[in-house]
Amino acid sequence: MKRKVAIIGGGQTYHASRRHDVNQGEMVNEAVRAALDDAQMTMDDVDAVLLGNMEFFEGCHMTDCWLADATGAYGKPGLKITTGGTVGATEVVAGAHHVASGLFDRVLVIGFEKQEEGDSSAILSGVAHPLYGRSLAGAAVGYFAMMGASYMQAYGAREEHSAMVAVKARQNARKNPYAHLKLDITIQDVLASKMLAYPIRLMDMCPTSNGACAMILADEKTAKDRCKKPVWFRAAETAHNEQFELTWRDVTTTKPIFSRVCADKLYKKLGVENPAAFFDVFEIYEPATWAELVWYEDLGLCKRGEGFRLIEEGKTEINGAIPVNPSGGVLSTNAIGATAMLRVWEAALQIRGDAGEHQVPKDVNWALTTAYGGTNWTVMTALSKEWED
Amino acid sequence: MEQELINIPMVVDMPYRFAAGCYLARFLTELRDNGKFFGIKCPNCGRVQMPPRIVCAACHVKNGEWVEISHEGTLMGFSIVHLPLTDPTTGQPHKTPYTYGIVRLDGADSFIEHFIEVEPDIAKVWVGMRVRAVLRPREQRTGDLNDIQHFAPIGEA
Amino acid sequence: MTERVAIVGVAQTRFSPKRAEVNVGEMAYEAIEQVLQETGLEIERDISNAVSCSHDIWDGQTISDIGITDVIGGHLRTEEKMAMDGATAVYYGAIGILSGEFDCTLVLAHTKMSQTNRNIVNNTAFDPLYTRMLGFDFTSAAALQARRYMSVYGISAEQVARVVMKNLGNARHNPVMHNGRDLSLDEILHAPMIADPIRSVDVAPDTDGAVALILASEERAKKISASPAWILGLGTCYDAHYLGDRDLADCMALEKASAMAYRMAEISEPRKQIDLVELGDEFSYQELLWMEGLGLCGRGEAGEMIESGFTASTGELPVNASGGLLGGVPVNVAGLNRVAEAALQVMGRSGVQIPDVDIAVAQGHSGFCGQHQCVVVLGREARSR
Repeated sequence: MKRKVAIIGGGQTYHASRRHDVNQGEMVNEAVRAALDDAQMTMDDVDAVLLGNMEFFEGCHMTDCWLADATGAYGKPGLKITTGGTVGATEVVAGAHHVASGLFDRVLVIGFEKQEEGDSSAILSGVAHPLYGRSLAGAAVGYFAMMGASYMQAYGAREEHSAMVAVKARQNARKNPYAHLKLDITIQDVLASKMLAYPIRLMDMCPTSNGACAMILADEKTAKDRCKKPVWFRAAETAHNEQFELTWRDVTTTKPIFSRVCADKLYKKLGVENPAAFFDVFEIYEPATWAELVWYEDLGLCKRGEGFRLIEEGKTEINGAIPVNPSGGVLSTNAIGATAMLRVWEAALQIRGDAGEHQVPKDVNWALTTAYGGTNWTVMTALSKEWED
Repeated sequence: MEQELINIPMVVDMPYRFAAGCYLARFLTELRDNGKFFGIKCPNCGRVQMPPRIVCAACHVKNGEWVEISHEGTLMGFSIVHLPLTDPTTGQPHKTPYTYGIVRLDGADSFIEHFIEVEPDIAKVWVGMRVRAVLRPREQRTGDLNDIQHFAPIGEA
Repeated sequence: MTERVAIVGVAQTRFSPKRAEVNVGEMAYEAIEQVLQETGLEIERDISNAVSCSHDIWDGQTISDIGITDVIGGHLRTEEKMAMDGATAVYYGAIGILSGEFDCTLVLAHTKMSQTNRNIVNNTAFDPLYTRMLGFDFTSAAALQARRYMSVYGISAEQVARVVMKNLGNARHNPVMHNGRDLSLDEILHAPMIADPIRSVDVAPDTDGAVALILASEERAKKISASPAWILGLGTCYDAHYLGDRDLADCMALEKASAMAYRMAEISEPRKQIDLVELGDEFSYQELLWMEGLGLCGRGEAGEMIESGFTASTGELPVNASGGLLGGVPVNVAGLNRVAEAALQVMGRSGVQIPDVDIAVAQGHSGFCGQHQCVVVLGREARSR
């Protein structure tokens, strides 16, 4: 990129299953104010406002136009991006490009979803082609259930391994004041929870949350002049995936898969050979427990088929060698438009040492984030504490 | 004083009339009229895609040859669903529990997703199981994937 | 790394009231295939990324770029979708190239208005808490703006009707337009009333179609095209949302978006320095209002300007020589078509070519009553910035 870009501030709402006390604009505004406070800025300092939100979820066409006052976009340049689950990360990348272009010095990016204001699972089924399979209504649960069944059969993992992921996530979330599902649960609790779609139980699945996240990206001069702990946006890669092809549900597939392709591209860009050693913390987008185990493998943190051993050995706990989702991850908070941005923001907090109780207890220099959405799409970003020249 | 919070209920009914397009239209009419499945082959990588579509996404070239696909295939993934999810085309929930899965029909590289007519018992269904498509009778077929009633196991369970 | 971005390829499907024989992906591919063929570029080898522009609600699919990922070359590659009017896709694509991350971008906009009902879709753009239940759509909102604008500045119905006469007449000569006709002022002023003062002929008709452009960095552009259209200036801006928060006769957002774009393009006297304008006349009165917002004349003077013939194809500063949106362009594709028509003029390849177009301005808007505005300035030469 032409100019260096830093994250100089951010904020999020306290994510919850019910936010009857605010409308969409008010909820977004909470995150925007938190970000401005964190960056010690006012709206006047912001050069452009980018919003990410999926209009079908709340049944509102052009939410960026409606919320122009709450987002601060009134009188300013900006636009709205809608790529589904990955949109929060796409917004961050778009904001980085805005700054790198030289046309803008400080860009506010926002992602949100007020999921209680729509029928989320019906809309998720709307992802399917209207004339080929939409009525099957698999929704997110279906996609990941098949993946879980395939994984167990292929590699000998057991339902306990899925439960370990669920426990890690919600116990981590108890250390994160903003997380939605802070649950003091055990493996037994998970295995006793209601079966939704074999093998996914209620506790294996992410919630639908109401929440917003906002971040401010800036150029090097602003970062150096005004920010005590800028977090450098080093690289990003995106990989989308064609429709109709349901191959990721069969974990033994040898077809090129969006997650592995994207990780390879990103690692090549940065010269990473051993991601588990290179990155100090990972915030990945795991809508279901099984997805996390497969992400470990796709990101090259372990060999194919060995993902469940990583969790078994405790390697991905907050104090482990390869901490994954110290924030509680998507399993604890999922406000679709915000979720991918939360991965980046939580990673930034880790680099700054500002994650409070869920701070990983080691020096964090490099962080990797992933996003997930659409028909198997991802956006991955890499952040760093220093810019070593 | 407790403030009253107001919720405004609203149903948004969006009417659509989707064009199937050249490729899917042929697939659906063959299914409806002749009970046949068709895929399309990429002239570059050779993969047989179902449903047929204009371009091979991996090779960025127009797909060419139409290939008839078997009604039999292998179950590549499945789940038993207990959650009554809403069918977005009708607004009504499916009756639970039910089994659905992804099937690679012999001759195709794509998987098709559909209901599996089998007891919703994890011991009765597995990856690798051979299945066969069961179509509705001709008079009930309308040119929709629901013209396939379900997939049923072939041979002993 | 580049300081300059150019449009090196343009392709448009023939716009039609209803394309029942193709689905969204097939329709989009017509434009994509054409633009790749004419530039000789290949997706894997030459294109860094793709940006598409559409709305889930118009497409009837959640995350609707799923429907075009395969045709736009998004499989295992970088692809994004933004949900604004199509001109903003050019703005966004250009920013991606200026950032240094990409050097050649495929931009696409597509809409099949025939597959749904514009009034219902439009209505969902109004917030569900305060305005939606009044039953607004974009036409009824535009009627409020038209009446306000006309009464504040004394614009007459005849002056507005001249927009229809000019644009539909121009559209007859543009091969992509379907609504070209020769209508007299009298016929226009007696067309069926939809929402006073907006008549049936004052509204851009329901249309299906797609537009694809290719943007490139300076280095790539020079190798791909002998006569690219250089992007000299870009600007966007949001106005307030609620109709009652604005004086609908104002166009603050367009004035600010133009200012941003003109500053980049070093345009200080728009009327003198601009040779051609392609703007978003979704409703006929908007042509006059946007002319003023673009600084082609003072506030309230656009009625006289069109009367004088200044903006005719044979005039000093042709506005919508293409036929405009009234000529038959789908919503959302609209702004990308505006940029495409302006680019074709600058490249010397337009089906309605005006001689000596050096600087052209394209304008698009999103949201009712033009709440969000986007301005793109194009030029035959790459100026230094």
